[in-house]
Amino acid sequence: MPDEPPPRRTRPIPRRTFIGRMGLAAFGGPALLEALAACAKSTPSSGSSTPGSTAAALTIASPSTPVTWPVHKDDLIADGLTPEKGATLQLYNYADYIGPHVVKAFEKKYAAYNVKVRVSTFNDTDEALTKIRTGKSGFDMYFPSYDQISKMVSASLIRPLNHSYIPNITNVWPQFSDPWYDGGWHYTVPYTVYTTGIGWRADRITADIGPMANPYDVFWDPAYKKRDAVIDDWHTAMAMVALRAGLTDINSTKPADIATIQTQMLDMQAKTDPKVTITMYNDLPAGQMDLAQMWSGDVVNAQYYLPKGVKPDVLAYWFPEDGKGMVDNDLMVILSQGKNPVLAHLFVNFMLDTKNALDNFGYIGYQPPQNSLSPAQTISDGYVPKNLGTAVVKQEWFTQGYRLLELPPDADAAWHEVWQRFKAGA
Amino acid sequence: MRARRRTSGRRSPLWPLLALPGAVWLALLFVAPLYVVLAIVFGGVDPVFRTPLPVYNPLQWDATQFTGVFSHIIGPNGYFGPALLRTAVYVGTASLLCLLVAYPVAYYTARLAGRHRRLLLALLIAPFWISYMMRMLAWVNLLQTDGLVNRALSLGGLYSVQIDWLNGRSLVVVLGLVYGYVPYMILPLYAGLDRLQPHMLEAARDLGAGRFDTFRRVTVPLSVPAVIAAVLLTCLPMLGDYFTSDLLSASPHTAMVGNLINNTVLTPGQTGQAGAFVLLVLVVSLVPMLFYVRSARSEGLAS
Amino acid sequence: MTAPSVAGLRRWWENPFRPPRFLQLMTFGYLVWSLLPVIIAVLFSFNAGRSRTLWQGFSFRWYWGDPIRSVWHDDTLHTALVHTLVLGVLATAITVPLGVAFALGIDRWRGRLPEGANFVMLLSFVIPETLLAVALLFLVNQIVTPLQLGTSAQVAGLVTFQLSYPVVIVRARLLTIGKQYEQAAVDLGAPPTAAIWRVLLPMLSPAIFASAVLVFADVIDDFVIVRYLSGDASSEPTSVKIYNTARAAPTPALNALASLMLLASFLAVVLGLVIYRWLSRGERDVSSLDSFAGGL
Repeated sequence: MPDEPPPRRTRPIPRRTFIGRMGLAAFGGPALLEALAACAKSTPSSGSSTPGSTAAALTIASPSTPVTWPVHKDDLIADGLTPEKGATLQLYNYADYIGPHVVKAFEKKYAAYNVKVRVSTFNDTDEALTKIRTGKSGFDMYFPSYDQISKMVSASLIRPLNHSYIPNITNVWPQFSDPWYDGGWHYTVPYTVYTTGIGWRADRITADIGPMANPYDVFWDPAYKKRDAVIDDWHTAMAMVALRAGLTDINSTKPADIATIQTQMLDMQAKTDPKVTITMYNDLPAGQMDLAQMWSGDVVNAQYYLPKGVKPDVLAYWFPEDGKGMVDNDLMVILSQGKNPVLAHLFVNFMLDTKNALDNFGYIGYQPPQNSLSPAQTISDGYVPKNLGTAVVKQEWFTQGYRLLELPPDADAAWHEVWQRFKAGA
Repeated sequence: MRARRRTSGRRSPLWPLLALPGAVWLALLFVAPLYVVLAIVFGGVDPVFRTPLPVYNPLQWDATQFTGVFSHIIGPNGYFGPALLRTAVYVGTASLLCLLVAYPVAYYTARLAGRHRRLLLALLIAPFWISYMMRMLAWVNLLQTDGLVNRALSLGGLYSVQIDWLNGRSLVVVLGLVYGYVPYMILPLYAGLDRLQPHMLEAARDLGAGRFDTFRRVTVPLSVPAVIAAVLLTCLPMLGDYFTSDLLSASPHTAMVGNLINNTVLTPGQTGQAGAFVLLVLVVSLVPMLFYVRSARSEGLAS
Repeated sequence: MTAPSVAGLRRWWENPFRPPRFLQLMTFGYLVWSLLPVIIAVLFSFNAGRSRTLWQGFSFRWYWGDPIRSVWHDDTLHTALVHTLVLGVLATAITVPLGVAFALGIDRWRGRLPEGANFVMLLSFVIPETLLAVALLFLVNQIVTPLQLGTSAQVAGLVTFQLSYPVVIVRARLLTIGKQYEQAAVDLGAPPTAAIWRVLLPMLSPAIFASAVLVFADVIDDFVIVRYLSGDASSEPTSVKIYNTARAAPTPALNALASLMLLASFLAVVLGLVIYRWLSRGERDVSSLDSFAGGL
């Protein structure tokens, strides 16, 4: 960088640039700017929007410590309101995680109110929650897992449900009308249930993964180098690594456990260099990968993405038969930033309707926890191909399986650091 | 405002007035955002949500996040180091390859194409008007396992070729970068080579230099400024690229610094790190940027 | 294609190692390499089947035939297209006047302040886009501004990133025009504003127009800024849609969307070129394409 002498006022070529001076000019502003910025400092980022949350402690729900969240009566909408007219109901969801024809059916049902539905998508729920907190996008509904609920309640991001709009709650498995993460279902209804296991192409992988002593080992088997993938969600991928290492506490806060997970993750990366993505439902049938950590719903969905002439029986899925794997459910919640709470309630009820839930199942591949849908029926009715029977979620697994829970901030940071290290490809 | 009176004297206040809106715009939407990055990097983190709490007063800045990132670049715990090194290697290789492709093409078009020059130029400019995403999409399609590339390689089914091009191959990412950015290099090179004075080259010829010698001794040295500008215009945007690696690989083993930024921007507790990487890339690219600005200005004075 | 005519081929055969032949081949090869993949992608937008790699016959299914997934019927696809064009028009409409005024002001106003502003402007020209986009995202998220994620923030970001185009192009033109015309107008009694409006601006019009076309074409292709600053699905333009879908499960409808975008781009450029030629008629030695290229 040229080092020019300090400028004189009488330089013959006044337009000549001097880096130092320019630096000064560029950074002279910030003094003023800073004052400006300090004035304009926003409040919504402080996190203390609700009284009492300054204590920096999150109440974390788990099956052994159920939580019933407080409800402020004022936040409930009144009974029997008419839907908003000419409104656009904004859904915030994963890509390909709601059937477009189901959405169209909802629009049609409430056509008298001139309802439009708009689906916006996110890549992972971390990103989604950040956008919900900072943005004023006005999303009405969000489809998270229960691992964000305490944050959402404590920041008043979600709206309590007025049960009078949602009679269809009786259609779903009874455990969901009083779940441990939301006693009395004040804020949530279930959307789908799923397991997290291993999906593979039976036509390309000769080994039978199911009967192996530790099926998770395949992700460390150099034979599958660059042919495998893990889910691009820190907790889901790392929990699989924990299970492989024999750690059944997949929400561990112990530094030793986290260290074990880190070692194993890096080892996995060195041995098979897995892709990190959430598009297995497309990539596995398209032949982009042969083996992947997968959600049960994605492997079911994969049948619709097979190239012409390829039968679904090339797909295979493993999940522990005793249910001792990751079993989770996603939720529907109504966001308080949404402008159409009545429509949102109606949409929740609409999606719990058995026919609509099954229609949706037929598009997304994720099973709704409907009472009337027996495991055998998912196959006999053609929602799940016969060879993917392992991808059907059984109700009893919810007592034996492991759940991905919210973590306390410190542990959360430690887990995220490992994940970041993994994703940096060191 | 005082400066105006001193330096412009007989000038009307019209010029400052004209320049003011643009200057204010840049101050508010270019300088101020960069300052917010500083405030976030040197600010705190909300204990519950782990979202950034920016601190705007430099006197209260806390370097924890900043030093945190730097302690992870080199040393035993330096897990960002490889990604940064990889970025340098990818960008360097891709720029070099771009130059190897772009220089002959630009040279031919500017100096030798003759009556075809306009058509050629139009075709060379064409990729510039085609969105980067569309051009990447084209390659994503071609490189599928059952895509046309593999099929072409199988010579019409003679062999079975099942190369998964899109599974974390550095070569594919680098070639993707070359493909994506080479138009940005051809145009400035073309402009530079086109401006070369023919009489310089004729003089060299008259003095007995052969075609190749003329090229080597006259054209190349005279085109150095254009080459530098072109390389800078290509490698600066590459430094922030994350989508090429994302689309053509999605493996952490091809992550560039842009991916580190993109992965962390919206992740709780890591926004400050994203900011620190932004600052890092900014500082690294500041030298070439200043160089470019300087050469752009001296050229402006010369012509 | 231009390079190997028959005579050219014969000459190449006689001496394949003459440098121009090599260069011709190289240029030709480059053109094929750079354009063929895109042409193939456009072709596959007309595929009758769902595959993006296997030709299954010609149809307009992905443009309007398919009742759910075609560009015409899939709301998310055509809103993306419309939003892209809206961003292009809005950003161009703000960038060009702002930039032209800035260029004029900065060119004539002497002192440290304008030099600093000019320096900042040039930095904004070369800063890696990701950095600016992240910084703007932080600004919008952290500071109370009238900007919100979505169209307003996207336009603001695009204008910031594009502002340097008209400034650089107009200033280059100002250099070649010189001051004599404007001076003459002032000497003849015109107030400075009239000198600019009546004399300078008409002379600058080709440059202004060229920069408008450049800005527009660049904005509708933008990805990084518009992605970070997008709000909900209604503010996701084509490039973002392509990125999101290309990673998930694309159908040829995506190729169709991209092809339509391509068409829009080319229409803008061709129209731009025609108008540009008309604006700069009567000026000798202006090769419009060259000026377009020179603007970069």
